[in-house]
Order: sequence, then C-alpha cells, then structure tokens
Amino acid sequence: MAEQSHSLRDLPGRALPGTARKSTSPAGEDTYRKLIYFMPTALVQVDSRAAGAAFDQLRAAGVRDIASYLETHPELVETANDTVLVTDVNREAVSLFNGRNQADLIRPVRYLFAGTPEMARRVMIAHFEGRRNYTEAAKIITFDGQVRDVIFALTYPTPPEQQDITFITISDITERLRTEAQLWQLQADYAHAARISTLGELTTSIAHEVKQPLAAIVTNGETALRWLARDDFDVAKIKQLTSRIVESAYHASDIVQRIRSMALRAAPEKVALDLKAVTAEAITFLRHDIEARKVTLAIDMPQVLPGIIGDRIQLQQVIVNLLLNSIQAIDQAGNNERRIAISVSLLADNRLAFTVHDSGPGINDANLERLFDSFFTTKDGGMGIGLAICRSIVIAHGGEISAANHPAGGAQFRLELPTASIEHFGVR
Amino acid sequence: MPFPPIIAVIEDDEAVRAALSELLEVSSLACRTYDRAEVFLAEFDSERFHCLITDLHLPGISGLELQQKLRAMGSETPIIVITSSGDPASRMRALQEGAFAYLTKPFNDAVLIAHVMAALKVAPESGGSDVGGQS
Repeated sequence: MAEQSHSLRDLPGRALPGTARKSTSPAGEDTYRKLIYFMPTALVQVDSRAAGAAFDQLRAAGVRDIASYLETHPELVETANDTVLVTDVNREAVSLFNGRNQADLIRPVRYLFAGTPEMARRVMIAHFEGRRNYTEAAKIITFDGQVRDVIFALTYPTPPEQQDITFITISDITERLRTEAQLWQLQADYAHAARISTLGELTTSIAHEVKQPLAAIVTNGETALRWLARDDFDVAKIKQLTSRIVESAYHASDIVQRIRSMALRAAPEKVALDLKAVTAEAITFLRHDIEARKVTLAIDMPQVLPGIIGDRIQLQQVIVNLLLNSIQAIDQAGNNERRIAISVSLLADNRLAFTVHDSGPGINDANLERLFDSFFTTKDGGMGIGLAICRSIVIAHGGEISAANHPAGGAQFRLELPTASIEHFGVR
Repeated sequence: MPFPPIIAVIEDDEAVRAALSELLEVSSLACRTYDRAEVFLAEFDSERFHCLITDLHLPGISGLELQQKLRAMGSETPIIVITSSGDPASRMRALQEGAFAYLTKPFNDAVLIAHVMAALKVAPESGGSDVGGQS
C-alpha cells in the first residue's frame, strides 16, 4: 500500500470549489449531495492540496522518511493545520462539533485536531506515503469545549480523482466507550468478588506455599546460629546459609505478592502475557491441594507460544477456577485414576486453545447447556458463579470457553484466546 | 546400633530439604535426602537408617502412607513427620499409626534435634508417641 505511487500534481489553475450546493451538478449528483448532507455520520471534505504541494517539494528534495522529517520539522505540521482547508461538511458534522451552521466548520483543519494534536502528523504521514485510507481513534473538542471520543477515517484522493477532495468521516463513539468502560468495570468488580471467594477455598494451599520458605528460613537461620556458636565455624558455610535465607525470603515475598494481587481490586489491564507463566503462577495457588489429594497434573505446552493480550490476574483466576473444579470433580468421582491434563495448542487462526481435561465423572448432559449460567451449580454449598465468571472474563478477552465430556471420560474445558498478533480495533 | 547414625530426610521442597540437611550436619548427624517417598522406598534397607524425617504432603506416596508401608514391612525405624498443615486430624492419625513425633513448620531447631536425639536413643526398639506432643 505504502508503495503505491501517488504523484500529487500541483493544480494551480483550479479554483477551490465552493460548497457543493452552490456548484452546478447533474441532477444525479445533486441527489447524492442531498443524501450525504442528511447522512447520520459526520462527513468532512478537505482540500489538502496545500500539503500535497509541500510534499512534492520534499520529495524533490529527496525526503523519503516523512515521519522523521516531520519529527524534526514540526512547523510543517503547523503550517498544514492553517493552510489545509475544510471545504464542505454535512449536517451531522455541524451537530457533532456543536456549530451553528456549516460556515462555522468551513475553515482551516486545525480545529479537527484540537483534541488529539499529534494526529495531524500521522494524517500527513499517511497522505505522504500514498495510502488510500487512514483510521484512528481520537478525541475532538467541540466548539463549546466538550471532549468527545471519535473514530476518524480518512480517504485520500488517488489520481485521476480530483486532488482537492479528501473525505473524513467522524464517528462519535463517546457513548459506546462509556458503556464499554462501565461493563468492563462491572465485570471487574464481579470477577474480584469471585476471586475473594476462591481464595477462601484455597487458604490451606496458600498457607502451605508460604510456610515452606518460612520453614527453610527459620531452619537455615538457626543452623547459622549453631555454626556461629562453635569455635570451628566456617565463614563460607555462614555465607551459604545466609544467601539461602535471602533466596527463600524473596520466594515467600513473591508468593505473598501473588496472593495480594489476587485479593486486590485493581483495575484490570490489557498487557502482553505469556500463557505458560500465567499457568505456572495459577498452579502455585493449588499445588498443595493437588498433592494432598493425590492428583497427577500433566502439562503439555509447545516450547514457544505467541503472547496473549489480557489481564494477568483475571486469566489466572480462570485457570485456578477450572483446576479447582477439576480437583473437586475428581474427589467426587473417587476413581483410582486421579489425573488432570492441561494442554495448550496454537490454532490456525492465530488463536490459542487451552484445555483442562480431568478424570472426574464428567458433566451430566442435562447440565452442559447451563454450566456457564450464573447461579447454576451442582455442588453442595456452591454459589454457581465460578464458571459464569470464567466465561465473562474469557469473553472480555475476546475469547471463548466451552465444556464437553471427553471421549476417554471426564470433563474437558476449553478456552480459545486470541494471541497478541491479532489486533482488536477499538479496544483500549 | 551401628554408628554414626544416619537419618533419612524425605521432603519435596528443595529449600526445606537443603535446610534440614544443614541443620543435621551442624548437629553432627549424617543424613541422606530424598525428594519423594518412592525414591526412598526403592533403596530402602531397614538396617541403614536410624531415624526418618518425612514431610506429610509429598507428591505421590505421602508421609503417612510411607509410614504405613514401612510398618507393614516390619520396620520400626522412628519416624518424625513434619508438615506445614495445621490439620489436627492428620496429626492424630500420624501419632496413632506410630509416628515418633509430629512437627508443624516452621519448627524450632532445638525441638527437632531433641526429637531426633530421643529417637536415636530408643531406636530401633519402640516408637514413643508420648514424646510426639511437640508441634
């Protein structure tokens, strides 16, 4: 795309068109003009020939990397802001900017970029590179000072089209983002409540995880004291014991930190994560339970996995919940085989499949449909929120969760999560 | 009893295992460590060890099961169970099934050494669960 040749010829002889309604057009075009005027999407028509002329000069002067050029010559962006002109707008655009009439908006483009000034530069780069379209989520400032979230979508002219018409559609997504933020917050609060309840089920396991390094610290400390009380004490020995104490103390502190972040009500983040590490951390919460209940845990993961985008704590929560369910199912079945198999595989469409298969009794067919519903439970004293939370977390991560009975027996839960290589438009 | 006495330590947590080994060493006690009961059982020889220190929760065969197996094999080697779980039921069970002592992590070094010393004196005649009250 970027290679597409786009010779922006200077067209000095042409006059700027007036607003469309004044020009004489065939009847068909007039109809389109009317439709465009009343369209419920804000449309802005821009004459960017001033920028085009400047670009031609830059190219002639040998400039190829426009991004770094504009970085060192910000004045060019400033000039463009004052010389590139809005030549026409429709009714919705006037209303979006809270203008009184079209004339309010027909002026240099600077006001379009007032909410996101850096966007002007990116719009120029796309133009210089000869791209057909450029889209960006941005903010605008209306004439009465309100900030609105919008999506800017530009369509640049390509020869032999008229060089004086760049089209911009501006979609107001303020309400959508507000609703999304509320939902995300609500989901986060709900997930947090469920996490606290899960932590409650894990206190024995967690206490065990913390007590192990503490026991090592105490014993090493006391051993060091015993050495020091002897006449023949060996400095190297004391050094070794002390560094083991430090190591175990850091280990204990890591565990406490992990528990703390599970218990905290932090705003969820979307960051690049290594599913392998997230899984390993989730397992520390359950290791004692797994051992105490004599469950064998097998993990099958490819050596190299692409990253996933999401909230570390929430994804850990999903894994902890699934494993806890499996452990409980295995206890319930009371079979000799007590086994959980976790496997991760990369799917063709850049998604990861994460499955948990247990040797429990499986899921009653009648319950399969309702398994992920809130307040549906088959456990005594269960609240029926664990899997509902799992589903809401996975969906918020752009993934899917499903449950089935494995042909070899037992239940199998399957997550599909997008990898970091898939971009999500509009997600922030 | 052949001397010096050798103590077997069965503990899956590497840091705790290393710490126990150091504590026994500074107390002039020889030991051999194992990370799983299965490994210990594979090379078990009733004459070899004079005392056993085992973690309660181990992957695979647990400390309690190990004790049952050893008793079933006729071994009377005193067993000191160590655990990070405060569960009174497992404590009761361990002692009823003949554990010499049951200690909750983190434990005092002097208490552990005192139990080991007591175990070595009585070994291999009988287990004294009366000494096992410490935790």
